[in-house]
Amino acid sequence: MSRQRRDPRAERGIRTVESRARPRLDVARRESPAASGRLRRDPWREWAASLVDETYRKRYDRSQRQMSREDAARFLAARSDIEATAISPGQPALHVVEEPAFLIFAVIEATGGRLSRFDRQVFGAARLLADADAGGGAVVAITTGEIDGLGEAGADRMLALPSANGGQARAAALRHAVETLLPRHVIFAEDGDSADLARRLSVALGDDLMSGVEHLTARQAVRPIRNGAREIGLAPPRLMTIGEDRVKPYAAAPCEARPIDASDFEAGADPAILSSEIIPGDPASLALSETDFVVSAGNGVSDIAAFRELAAAMKGTPGASRVVCDAGLMPRSAQVGASGTVLAADCYFALGISGAPQHLQGIAGCEHVIAVNTDLHAAMIERAGLAIVQDAQLVMPALLALLRERGA
Amino acid sequence: MRTLVLLSDARHPVSGRPHLSRLETQAIGLAASLDPAARGLHAGSGEDAVRAGLGHGLAGLDVIETTGEADPLPALVGFLADALGGADAPELILAGRRGEGGFETGLVPYLVAERLGLPIVADAVAIRAGEMPGTLVVDQAMAKGARRRVTVRLPAVVTVHPLSPLPRPFAYGPMRRGRIRRHSPAAEQADLPAVAKMAGHGTVAGRAEDTGGTTVGPVDVVPADERPHRARPKLMRTSGTAAGGANLHVGPDPTEAARLILDYLEANGIRRYGKAPE
Ligand SMILES: Cc1cc2nc3c(=O)[nH]c(=O)nc-3n(C[C@H](O)[C@H](O)[C@H](O)COP(=O)(O)OP(=O)(O)OC[C@H]3O[C@@H](n4cnc5c(N)ncnc54)[C@H](O)[C@@H]3O)c2cc1C
Ligand SMILES: Nc1ncnc2c1ncn2[C@@H]1O[C@H](COP(=O)(O)O)[C@@H](O)[C@H]1O
Repeated sequence: MSRQRRDPRAERGIRTVESRARPRLDVARRESPAASGRLRRDPWREWAASLVDETYRKRYDRSQRQMSREDAARFLAARSDIEATAISPGQPALHVVEEPAFLIFAVIEATGGRLSRFDRQVFGAARLLADADAGGGAVVAITTGEIDGLGEAGADRMLALPSANGGQARAAALRHAVETLLPRHVIFAEDGDSADLARRLSVALGDDLMSGVEHLTARQAVRPIRNGAREIGLAPPRLMTIGEDRVKPYAAAPCEARPIDASDFEAGADPAILSSEIIPGDPASLALSETDFVVSAGNGVSDIAAFRELAAAMKGTPGASRVVCDAGLMPRSAQVGASGTVLAADCYFALGISGAPQHLQGIAGCEHVIAVNTDLHAAMIERAGLAIVQDAQLVMPALLALLRERGA
Repeated sequence: MRTLVLLSDARHPVSGRPHLSRLETQAIGLAASLDPAARGLHAGSGEDAVRAGLGHGLAGLDVIETTGEADPLPALVGFLADALGGADAPELILAGRRGEGGFETGLVPYLVAERLGLPIVADAVAIRAGEMPGTLVVDQAMAKGARRRVTVRLPAVVTVHPLSPLPRPFAYGPMRRGRIRRHSPAAEQADLPAVAKMAGHGTVAGRAEDTGGTTVGPVDVVPADERPHRARPKLMRTSGTAAGGANLHVGPDPTEAARLILDYLEANGIRRYGKAPE
């Protein structure tokens, strides 16, 4: 019995790839697809796709897209005629769904006309379901007014339901919208008014609600039950509320957020609600764990009276590092950090704090950090989104003066 | 104001034993401040879990004996419909916003409210009687420490938020003295369709029919699908602006630094400080 001879030259020929400077061998290339049937990753192409702009130095943005198989296939097609920069997140194109195959409602609060982190995560979940498998779904943002940045957050359409007095009236308007437009999924945040609305809608439609979803893919939604000891996973049902920080916000090409005519959707008033007014929280008396903005003093602040005045003027809740609390300058309840309070605030303003690990643990959840410190190499300066190397004693009166000038 | 607190069959998060959930203890505190004769209502297989409510300020307890993990809704609705039609009709029904140790959907109060045709107000942190008789003022917890003060017409269902005042301390004597009334669900269950009709909710009755009358409410749980929970990490919160480099200012003029700070706060929507500079 004779075996066929191998022809090393021909094999090399097959495996040679075109490249700019010198011939490159792709030793992994096979004529037939891998036995597992899965497409192979092409790291070269992935890097090329995440190239942001090729100027003096190459800059890659790998945070935006984990290359999924669909993406890889898209780039495979795109690479031949478009430059990587055209599909990179640097200059994204507009994502347009002309004829949606199905609709997904994303119900958002956007308190104060601004999308919160949680709102973006709701859009992330909706986009995930809209783009699953063949895609073609459109995400409809359900709002109560004009909101900026809906397109960037991932909304293809926008339905501004008339603002209603009371949850029951809002639920009735939403129910009408659901019955007319027949969305495949309606997604809410498991928080405040959204959670309330979701339950009212579920009861009105007589439909199951999957509340507090912790893990969401196109195939299944998982939520904990029995005090988090057990869980259940189902194919994503029609009504879902998602837990906070569970689904990634959408970060690819912006969508168009085309408004849908909402004149059909009347909002009545709830006859049982006689009056309703909103009382804003007083930051000075809020607990550290509840507030959204903390102004905090460290050992670098010597004038505590001025600091207190500043915290009040900036409408922030006063906090402090342990050194300041140990010295008795601030109450123990104001201590931020591992042995104090772990914050859930959006913004942290640190004056003269070095940023010891025990302190940084307490602000791990803060999205925006501002640091004022005389030491350029302090850990807090490195952590901050806005870092100012300057004497806190000079910045505090300047801030107070500027606030007075702006009439706050 | 005659007040009733719905008490669920909560499980202790660590030991798994029946106990009174903390949220419902807070609800009892709110109820006791409005009505010294507030009663508790529980549908379940026994009063082990909810007895402690008597020690926290309830004057009495009604227990509807149902078996095992049977849906408590028909029993609760049947009992409440009877009570609302009776002489000492409860005006305010308090409940927790989520259960603890069961399916934790938080739907029970909404279903009860809809079957009885009552308004529901969620997430109360404080309640008091309104100026007009037959009204109630509820402070709802909202994000960032804000409160919404709504006035509702009674009778109403109100769910309680964890930020409401601390519960009253437990006292053993009142728990021993408290009277527990036991009821059987059978008779009350028969009333359900009538109640649903009375409240004018055709959908509910229709739904009960097409599932053979067994399903009474939205429950997403198929018990067979239950499995041990797997902890999944939450998303990391990272600083808004990446690359500190661009946003690092070394030794700026203090006035300039102050302007930078305020602009950063306003650009990120944290606070608004009057008019912006031109
Ligand atoms: C078990 C344990 C638990 C702890 N838990 C906590 C905790 O929960 N919370 C906590 O905060 N700490 C905690 N600590 C203490 C922590 O390790 C640090 O000692 C503390 O956080 C330092 O506080 P600080 O940054 O205010 O002071 P310092 O470390 O003294 O830093 C002062 C900073 O201010 C700057 N500065 C000085 N003068 C000026 C000026 N004029 N203008 C501007 N900046 C100036 C300096 O450059 C320096 O960076 C804990 C420690 C241990 C061992
Ligand atoms: N078996 C029950 N008996 C009385 N009240 C209940 C019962 N189950 C739930 N509730 C009430 O409904 C609230 C929410 O429960 P759940 O819908 O199970 O999350 C609880 O906090 C209780 O006030």
